[in-house]
Formats: sequence, structure tokens, C-alpha cells
Amino acid sequence: MELLVSILALGSTYALLAAGIVIIYKASRVVNFAHGELAIVGAYVFHSAAFLTGASLTGQSLLITIAISAAASALFGVIIYAALMRRLLGRPAIVAAMVTIGVALILKAAIVVIWESRSVGIALGRQPVITFESGGRVTWIDVATVVVCIAFFAALALFFQYTRLGRQFRGTAENPLLAAQRKVNINRILAVAWGMAVFSATLAGVLFGSRSILSPQSPIIGLSGLTAAMVGGLDSLRGAVFGGLLVAAATYITARLISPALSEAVPFLILLAVMCWRPWGLFGTVEELNRV
Amino acid sequence: MNAHVTSEAQLLNVRQLEVVYHDVATAVQGVSIEVAQSSIVAMIGPNGAGKSTTLRAISGFLPAEDVKVTDGTILFEGSSLRGLLPHQISRRGVVLVPEREKVFQTLTVQENLDFSLTYKARPRRDEVYAYFPPLAERRTQVTGYLSGGEKQMLAIGMALVCEPKLLLVDELSLGLAPRVTEEIMSILRTINGDLGIAMLVVEQNAAAALRIASFAYVLEGGRVVFKGEPERLLNHQDIREFYLGGSKEKARSYRELRQYARKRRWWG
Amino acid sequence: MLSNSPYLRTSYAETNRVFPEPYQRVLVGIIVISLICLPFVGGNYLLHLMNLALLAVIGAVGINLLTGFCGQVSLGHASFLAIGAFTTAILAQRFQMPFFVAIPASCCTGALVGFVVGLPALRFRGIYLAITTLAMHYAIIYVLTAYQSNVGPSATAGITVPAPAIAGFTLEGERAWFYVLLVAATTVVVFGINLSRTYIGRAWVAIRDRDIAAEASGINVTQYKLLAFMISAVLAALAGSLAAYFTSVVTVEEYTLELAIIYLAMIIVGGMGSIAGSILGAFFMTLLPFGIERIFEMLPWRLGTTAFGIQQAAIGIVIIGFLLFEPDGLIEMYRRVATYFERWPFRYRELQSIGGR
Repeated sequence: MELLVSILALGSTYALLAAGIVIIYKASRVVNFAHGELAIVGAYVFHSAAFLTGASLTGQSLLITIAISAAASALFGVIIYAALMRRLLGRPAIVAAMVTIGVALILKAAIVVIWESRSVGIALGRQPVITFESGGRVTWIDVATVVVCIAFFAALALFFQYTRLGRQFRGTAENPLLAAQRKVNINRILAVAWGMAVFSATLAGVLFGSRSILSPQSPIIGLSGLTAAMVGGLDSLRGAVFGGLLVAAATYITARLISPALSEAVPFLILLAVMCWRPWGLFGTVEELNRV
Repeated sequence: MNAHVTSEAQLLNVRQLEVVYHDVATAVQGVSIEVAQSSIVAMIGPNGAGKSTTLRAISGFLPAEDVKVTDGTILFEGSSLRGLLPHQISRRGVVLVPEREKVFQTLTVQENLDFSLTYKARPRRDEVYAYFPPLAERRTQVTGYLSGGEKQMLAIGMALVCEPKLLLVDELSLGLAPRVTEEIMSILRTINGDLGIAMLVVEQNAAAALRIASFAYVLEGGRVVFKGEPERLLNHQDIREFYLGGSKEKARSYRELRQYARKRRWWG
Repeated sequence: MLSNSPYLRTSYAETNRVFPEPYQRVLVGIIVISLICLPFVGGNYLLHLMNLALLAVIGAVGINLLTGFCGQVSLGHASFLAIGAFTTAILAQRFQMPFFVAIPASCCTGALVGFVVGLPALRFRGIYLAITTLAMHYAIIYVLTAYQSNVGPSATAGITVPAPAIAGFTLEGERAWFYVLLVAATTVVVFGINLSRTYIGRAWVAIRDRDIAAEASGINVTQYKLLAFMISAVLAALAGSLAAYFTSVVTVEEYTLELAIIYLAMIIVGGMGSIAGSILGAFFMTLLPFGIERIFEMLPWRLGTTAFGIQQAAIGIVIIGFLLFEPDGLIEMYRRVATYFERWPFRYRELQSIGGR
């Protein structure tokens, strides 16, 4: 039972990371390699913001910390788009992906420079909800992770399917020029996409940091999120959920039962297997393969 | 209808347009076109004449594309369109129906029409379903699976929903059966009559275009080589020979056909 | 009769010259002579930097042939380097093989691994290929990590490699290594230039530009893509093998994803699709961290770990800067200046075929 909850919580984190990658991909066909770094930087920002409001993550100070982090991360996403990605419209998608690799390197260095490579944790919701006889426990943050993930995905699915902005997202992803010719300001769409993606990254990072330690090596989870997104299909939110859970389950079980070293390679082995069988992801659309 | 009384009163007034691709290839040079209020103007000509480029120049390029308008003025309702982004131009009322990639393949028909639908424009969308009955039957179908004719209807419908004052239609007959082309062309004429939307129609199918237009331009090699009312074009020797399938007098055998050798003189 | 004009070529031999203009030949001559004379004027520190740069050149030419000429984006270059280094280390240390066995053997394993990593390229392009090669990189690194923990004295000690020796003469010291690496790098560069000017190079460029059209034109895309991966892996294995001898110890921790990104940065900075660009990029990225360190030493205040952070960030800044503002790399900046003077008063040069420039 405790195993199941751990897998669900880890899977939710990976699914949230994958969601951020899928949002940017659905809007602009760009694969964001900096997503892990964005998540961890967001978590560090949350941690530092908590100090601004009194270092106790309860009640009102918690809400203020959340508000600051949410606003800062969304704004940062918009800035990344406006300053960098906007200039890459029309260039091949691989160029934009390489620019995100550059952003990842800069962010990783920023963690070292700004927070001096301290390993920190976010003390949020560590109180147990259920305690088992064997000594394991389910904490509030575990529950919160799963609930937040479900809520986020539900909101996102409704957004893409039923709102006008969501339709414009999907249209811009397919054909930016046609969208522009139909009165849609694609700069605004893509800026919103990036804002949403970085916000979800911070969300994932904070939830991750509440359950484990944050360190400059943490951004490696970004690759797990990326593999989860690819396994599920880069243009599929459903795939992000499934991929996140699959990768989390495989990683966790491998770490517990076989060896921790192999569990680091497991996401990539799953990815290779899926690439051999269904390269466009388990829930993705085939045409995507030819669009990059 | 004489479209040349006062140039200043024209809805669209393009003067001496020059468009250059990749800094080196001039696609359009010295092209001047006018479209009067609520009129249908045709642009005909062979492949690569610069017709689509002219339409794209009017409707705006994305900043990332390697093409520039290097000279000329484009005035719509008196104000310049040069340098504006495509979404700004379409918000002013100039809407392009592109030649390729004219609909969102992954969205349904309904979603395509609702793409940038404002509350105000809802009646227009219902009018689109009235003009194009096949679309009404396929509201929830994913557009990628529609036939070519239905996609073209949807593309025009999407453009209409943007409440345009000027519709730019790029090569609508490409890939369509002649009967479907006729059908859509006559619907365009009906729309022009009902809603008063001006249209600039680019066509390789000169005969079809000249049937609905009140004025026409002939482009070749990036330049306007002839212009006039359709009657004038239909009776012109060069137009007849090169765009309308030969003269009406006698049947010509291939031996007598020296189209490849005869230069176009553009007299008359 | 040789024509002096860049516009008039009077023989096929002239059109095929690698350096058609006299000033280019003079420039290359100056560079070669200065490099040969360098050990006599430079100290050990400078020679050490040059040795690192020359090692990087070999790897950079490899990835440029794969990504710059053939258009296959690969994030797995570090694993090729690691394979070469580990093969050499194992053969030299455990089996006491001499270098003239170990190095070719490393190249062979490199070719094999290159073939395997290149197989996904037959199905994917662009991002999907990049991520697949990334996955394979991690798989290979996992295998090597497992080997290192099980075999070495401790998990992180790595494998020590004895210095290469032949007939009693041992290769050690920066100056001796400099000449060896200079010869190796020059050979690889000449190989690269020649390869890019043959039908193989042209096939690669055709595949890069439009692989479906290339296939339709009769180019066996499968064969050439795999060949690109294999040759790139062979050169990387060579670089890794020489690096193993150079640094005398091989650890798997130094072959990170960052290393693969640094090699990618080398060709982005230098110029993709240009061997000369590989050289420029390799020197630039190798000397960049040292340059930053020097700058920080000149500043009045101490920065500690910040310097390291800035070095890391510099790689990202350089990648972004070049991709945004100079996507064709340093070699394009050189070409603009050279074209201006060579072709004045005209502004453009004719379309270039691949090779030599």
C-alpha cells in the first residue's frame, strides 16, 4: 500500500513535469530541455520566498509564498519566450531545442551561483496522514501531490478542449501562420503557453522538493519528465499522465528490488523500448513524427 | 463598373509593390492593383507570376519568414498595411484564404469556424453554415478527413467568420473538380452580393475567375502586363490563346499550334 | 596557366583546389608554421591547453561530420568518447596491449557502437533522434559505470592507463604530446576535408537538406546515415583513446551529458558543415573556461564557486548567443570578412560546393 502511494506521488510529479513539456510542444512544436532545471529553480525560489514571509509554511504565509512563486514562475516563462524563443519562430524545431539546452545550462549554473549549491528541503506537509504498522507512512504532501496533479490535468484538459484560447493553442501548434491570419496574436498564445509551462514546472518542483532534497543535481528529474512525455506522446496530455506513472513505477520498483544504479537508466530503457515499438508515443499522433 | 474613377476612393490600393525573397530573388516588381468597395477583382496568370506573393504581401508575413516588401505602398481604407503583422492586418478586415494549409487539420469543422469567433460574429457563423450546407452536415468531423472541396468551403467559411471587408482568395480551384470550382465560385459571387464583401481572387483557372469578376489583372513574371474588364480580356487575342484555351474560330491541330513560339504582345 | 581572379577558373584542377586563393594558402602556411614553432616559445601551461584543444578538434570533426554535414542530431557523442577511452584503458591496463593495438581496437569498438546508436536514425529525425541518442548515451554510461564500480579498486577511482611506449621510448611530457596530437589532429582534419569533398560527403549533405529527395535520387540513405554515425564514433573513440593516454586515468564520471552538449556547442560556435569551423569551435570551447578563469583572476574581488557557475553558464550563453545571432558560426564571420575583401566591389560570392571552405 505504501509502495502504491509512493509510486502514485512520484508518478504525479513526473506527470506534472511531462504536462509542462506537452504544453509547450502542443503550442509550438518545441521540446523544452530546460524543464527539469526550471522546476528545481522554481522550488528553490519557493524555498527562498518562504523566508521572506517568515519561514513557516503555514496558513497565510503559505498562501503568500505560493502566490509569489506562482507569479514569478509564470512571469519567468513569459520572459523566456519574449527574450529568446520568439526570435526562433520559423527556424527548425531542433534549433529551439538547442536553445533550451543552453537555458538549462544557465539555470543549472544559477542554482550554483545564487544558492551556492546548498541542498535544501521544503518542509511542507510532512505530517503523516496514515501510519502503517510496518513503520511506513503516507504524509499530507503525498496526498496533496496526487490531488494537485489530478486537478491540474483536469483543468488543462477542459482548457484545451472547450475554451477558445485552448482551441487557439491547438491551432497555433499546427499552423502558426494560418492562426495569425485568423486574427490570433501568436506571440500572445506562445507567451501564455510558456507561462503555463513554467508555472507547472515550479508546481512539480515544489511538490518534489517537499518529498525529497533539492540539490544542484536534482534537475535530472527533468529527463524523467521528458521521457515520460515522450513515452506518452509529446502532444498528448493523457500520455503525460500515463507516461509519468509508468516511468515512476518502473523506476521505483527497480530501485527497490534490483539496484538503485539501474533505476537511473530505467526511464531511458523504457524510452528506447517505446521508440522501437511506437515512436510517436503511446497516446501521441503519428503525424507528429514527420513534423519535426 | 469602372473601377478606376478615383484611386483614392478604392478599398485597397497597392502601388508599385516590390517583394524580394531571401535578399536576392525579386518575386513581384512594380505591381499596382486596386480593389473597389464590394467588387470582385481577379488576378490571373501563369505559375510563378507572383500572384500568391502579392496576396501574401497584402495579408502580411510572419517576422521569421525570409521575405521582405522592399518597395511600394499598400493602402487599405487609406491606411498603410506595410510592416503590420498578419493578425493585425486580419483584425483590420483583410483576410486571406491561403492556397495550401488553409484549414486546421486536427480540429473539427465546428472548432475551425469557432477558432477566433467573437460573440458579435456568431450570426455570421450560422450564415456560413447556410452558404455551405456540406459543412453543416459535418460539424463534428475532424477536418483532416474532409474532401478537397469541403476543405475549401471551410477555409472560406473561416475567413468569413473573421468579418472581413476584403477577402483575398488564393487559387481556390487547385485540386478541385471543375464542378466543385463552379459551385464555390458562384457561392462567392452570392456572398459578394449579399454581404458586400470585396474580393481579390487569384486564379489559374482564368475562365472561372473572369466569370465572377468585375475587373481583372494579368500578372506575368512579377509584373502586371494587362488589366481591364472581363469583356476586354475575353476578347483579347493573347489572353484567349494563353489562358483561355485558344481562339473560338477553328479547332487547331498541334502542328498549327505555335503557342510556344509566339511572343505575347499585349496589344489592345 | 593559373588565373589570379576568383571569378575566372581556367582548369578543373583550379576549381577543385581546397585553397583556391593565394591568401588562403599563406594563411594556412602561417598557422601551420606557428603551431610547429609553438613549443619553443610557449610554456607547459600553454602547451597543455593546446593539447586539450587538439584532442577536442578530433572529436569536433567527428560530430561535425555527423550533425553538420549529415544533419543527424546526436546527443550521444560523449558515450562514443567514453567507449574509446574505456576500451583503451581496459586493453592497456588489464591486457597490457601496446598502443598500436589498443588505439585501433578502440576505433573498432567505436565503429560498432556507432552502428548500433545510428540504427534509430533510420526511423527518426530531428528531436526524436536527439532524444533517442540521449537515451542510448545513458544506457552506455550505465554499463560503463557498472563496469567501473565492479572492477576498479573503488567505485570512483577509475582505471589507470600506462603511458604509451614503443621500443623503450615512452610518450610523456606536454611537448612530445603536442607534436603527436598535432599530427593526429592534422590527419583527422585532412581526412575530414577530403571526406566532405567526395561522393560520401555530398550524399551526406543531400541527406541533411532533404533526405526524401536524396533517397529518390538514388542515394542509399540507410547506408550513408549509418556510415556517418560510424565514422563520427570512430573519430570520437580515437579522441577518447588518446585522451585516456593523455590523462593517464579514465573515469566514467567525466563523460557526462554536458560533455556531449559541449561538443555540440563546438560545432554551433565554429560552424556546422565546415571542418575549419570544427577547429575554431573546438579551440573556442576548450579555451573558454580558462579564459573566464583568467578574467576572474583579474577582477579585484574573489568569487569562489561563482567562477565555476559562470563557466557553466558561459557554455549556455555561448550556445544561445550563437544560435540567435550567428547561427552559421565563427567561420561565417570569417567568410563575411574574406568575401568582402576578396570580391570587392561585389557583395556576394557564387554558391559554394562543399569542401575546403
